[in-house]
Amino acid sequence: MSKFDLSRRQFIGAFGATAALAGLAACNGSTEPAAEGTEGEGTEGAALVGSISCSGATSFQPLVEKARDAFQDANPDVSVAISGGGSGQGLSQVAEGSVQIGRSDVFAEEKLEADQLEGLVDNQVCIVGMGPIVNADVDVTDITTEQLKGIFLGEITDWADLGGTAGTIQVIQREAGSGTRATFEAAVLGGEVAPDSFRPVAEVDSSGTVVEQVAATAGSISYVAFNYMENDGIKALTVDGVEPTQENVESGDFTIWAYEHMYTREDEDESTAAVTKAFIEFMLSDDFAATVVEEGFIPMGDMKVKKDADGNVTAA
Amino acid sequence: MASEKNARSVALDAHVRRIDSQDKVATGVLAVIVGLVMLLVVAIIAYILVRGAGRALTPGFLTNPYNDEVVPGILYQLWDSFYMLLVTLVISVPISLGAAIFLVEYAPDNWVTSAAKTAIETLSSLPSIVVGMFGSLFFVVTLGWGISILAGACALTMFNIPILVRTIQQALEDVPRSQRDAALAMGLTRWETTINVLLPAAMPAIVTGIVLSAGRVFGEAAALIFTAGSAPARLNFTSVNFLSPTNPFNIFRPACSLAVYIWRLTSEPTAGSTEIVWGTATVLLACVLLFNLLARLLGKLLSRRLTAE
Amino acid sequence: MANLMPKRRLENIGLGVTGFCVALVALVVVTLIFMVAQQGLTTFFVDGLNPIDFFFGQNWIPEQERYGALPMIVGSFAVTLLSTAFALPVAIGSAIFVVEVAPSFGRRVFQPFIELLVGIPSVVYGVLGLYVINALIKAIFGDAAPTGAGILSGSLVLAIMILPTITTLSMDALRAVPNQYREGSYALGCTRWQTTWHVVLKSALPSLMTAVILGMTRAFGETLAVQMVIGGVERSMPMGLLDPASTLTAALTAGLSNAVSGSVYYHALWSLGLILLAMSLIFILIIHLIGRKGAKANG
Repeated sequence: MSKFDLSRRQFIGAFGATAALAGLAACNGSTEPAAEGTEGEGTEGAALVGSISCSGATSFQPLVEKARDAFQDANPDVSVAISGGGSGQGLSQVAEGSVQIGRSDVFAEEKLEADQLEGLVDNQVCIVGMGPIVNADVDVTDITTEQLKGIFLGEITDWADLGGTAGTIQVIQREAGSGTRATFEAAVLGGEVAPDSFRPVAEVDSSGTVVEQVAATAGSISYVAFNYMENDGIKALTVDGVEPTQENVESGDFTIWAYEHMYTREDEDESTAAVTKAFIEFMLSDDFAATVVEEGFIPMGDMKVKKDADGNVTAA
Repeated sequence: MASEKNARSVALDAHVRRIDSQDKVATGVLAVIVGLVMLLVVAIIAYILVRGAGRALTPGFLTNPYNDEVVPGILYQLWDSFYMLLVTLVISVPISLGAAIFLVEYAPDNWVTSAAKTAIETLSSLPSIVVGMFGSLFFVVTLGWGISILAGACALTMFNIPILVRTIQQALEDVPRSQRDAALAMGLTRWETTINVLLPAAMPAIVTGIVLSAGRVFGEAAALIFTAGSAPARLNFTSVNFLSPTNPFNIFRPACSLAVYIWRLTSEPTAGSTEIVWGTATVLLACVLLFNLLARLLGKLLSRRLTAE
Repeated sequence: MANLMPKRRLENIGLGVTGFCVALVALVVVTLIFMVAQQGLTTFFVDGLNPIDFFFGQNWIPEQERYGALPMIVGSFAVTLLSTAFALPVAIGSAIFVVEVAPSFGRRVFQPFIELLVGIPSVVYGVLGLYVINALIKAIFGDAAPTGAGILSGSLVLAIMILPTITTLSMDALRAVPNQYREGSYALGCTRWQTTWHVVLKSALPSLMTAVILGMTRAFGETLAVQMVIGGVERSMPMGLLDPASTLTAALTAGLSNAVSGSVYYHALWSLGLILLAMSLIFILIIHLIGRKGAKANG
């Protein structure tokens, strides 16, 4: 934090922005008691004071923003700054210590080097289920995992092979590095990789764009999280006859799902540690579980199976 | 003999007719091209307005936060855009002014000056994403400012400086030689001449240049995504804690400008976001056009006042 | 003497303050070049990627740790050249008309029009491209362009964006041609078109080339408008103009948020940034060379 302060002063010294000066003079005054207030407490009842930042995956950012709103309403002296940036940014920023919470939709082990992992704490806050979607005009309703694999490896290219009306299968992919894509490929491709010659018709940046493009492109297929499946122009497929629902993920029948992680640091500065801890606890609380479901995610509480970083599923 | 002459004049006539018609055809084709270009400009602006004006004029669109349940608005993005612009100008105007004065008045004719000129030229041709990625490492990580308005404003400054330096330089050079000579002859130093004579005389052009550059900065997005962030900020206009990420004046909080908001909504669309995109695009376009108009008006007004004195 | 000292001090302060500003700008540019080069070269010198594999590799598949930048390099050059080809005839044609045929119309009407086009932010062009041009391409080519995104859409959007740049600079170039040249040509009985074609264009050629290069610089470095319409497919080489592809700038925008700083992927992205930086320096160099050659030709 002191490095942070120094650079602020350096900036003032260098540029002398008067507006900023006035702002900072006031804010320096207000931080001191805030820092003192949080020190040595953490007991229930005492008011939480402090501000933390949380960056990273955008897939469950709306959910975290909802949590932030409720959390700040309950703790008026707390502020949580939420920014996007993607899982990679979130993980590297929490590893560097420039944010208190780094959101990721993959295990940190998949993105970070071993030395960066040191001191990171994995807080799994909820679960996201995902499944294949197709353009609403596609007359196929069920797909086997083998067929899905064939499509995304470029081996199956016509809907006729799946029992539908003949027509080219237009594969819309998420961009390389996307957590959704990593989860989907881990569950469906089983370690195989598409040949170099395989070209999707688009590689897009977000689930929202996937929905738009699948709805607009005849014969297209892609995959999104459950909360994006209720949209016009697309339809969700059942996989091996199993519906993509919360219950089926909890029971372990539906296998394409992943944890949403909020990584924190073990050695977090004590002026913010209490706020960070309280915020994560709030995300996991029973009170918030209803919001988690509303937003299309699955609370941690009811899971009957669990996954480890290598993708092995075991009974919880 | 006569027939030969006749034939020659017929050939010449034909040649004249040919080049005349060639001239007419060329002029006609060029006129069509110009017509099409103007049609294109009108079509583009009209299309944006038609698609977005309805949303932009909806009561509440300009004054509601993005998460309003009835009419999601762009209040925070508007604020962030203008505030970031202000911070950018506060940083970039003094630097550009100094640099331009140096180049016009002091610059020795040697490699230092030509290196400085090359540096500014380089800056002007850098792709915005390169400035953005540099900012995301240098301002955000190395200087430790985090994803913040300040980091974003510094990235924008890097765009603004070459434009500003060039316009200010031009404005100073356009001041009549006689004024400068008269001041120097009266025993004023170059510094005094610059401050008391050149700057006031060049002021209308400088102000116009600043406002015009503000229009460009206002619409920039690529350099901001990784420096000021792309998540819509949540602001609290009653906040007095200047360190709070919800305080609108805090320059160390993330921010999302109108342009970045448009990019984010198109790359992460949600239900109904297309309407917001067009509405925001209309507002952004209107702001930029207003900047252009303002620049012209200010320039005229200031020069009239100055010449009246 | 005592009266002169403060004056000299004032002069030194002036020199110091303004010199500091220039030095600061130069320092920032040097820092930028140094940092991009340092991060971008780490890929080759620390992470051990083979530069030949990087520049000529035809597959950019980060999850398999394969970093071949050729698809993006080809994409960037394809959209740059194609958009220039679209914009150039229109830009030069309009410039000729408003300078040679209708000068007062040019100044009063056309110039403000074309300046409107300069003012439109690039994300707005991106939005237009995404919702209008992509839909148009899709409607025209049907199954050959299932989403409408691709090199052709990107080039069309860029062509509109660089049109004002090339047009205004070409107008300046044509206006700079001395009037005696035209009068001489008319005196010889040449028509306006002959004068324009054989005299004006020829003598304005170096400046026109500068205008084109500046347009290309803008096209090459343009980021969001292209990224929004081109489709973002980086894994292998685009096979046609309707094929979704990616450019260096688009790959950076999409990739930077997913890459963890310090990883090979992150460094490889900086190497793409280094290519962009190098290209913009090369464009500046070309402009300087043209300027020098033009100066020599004009004595």
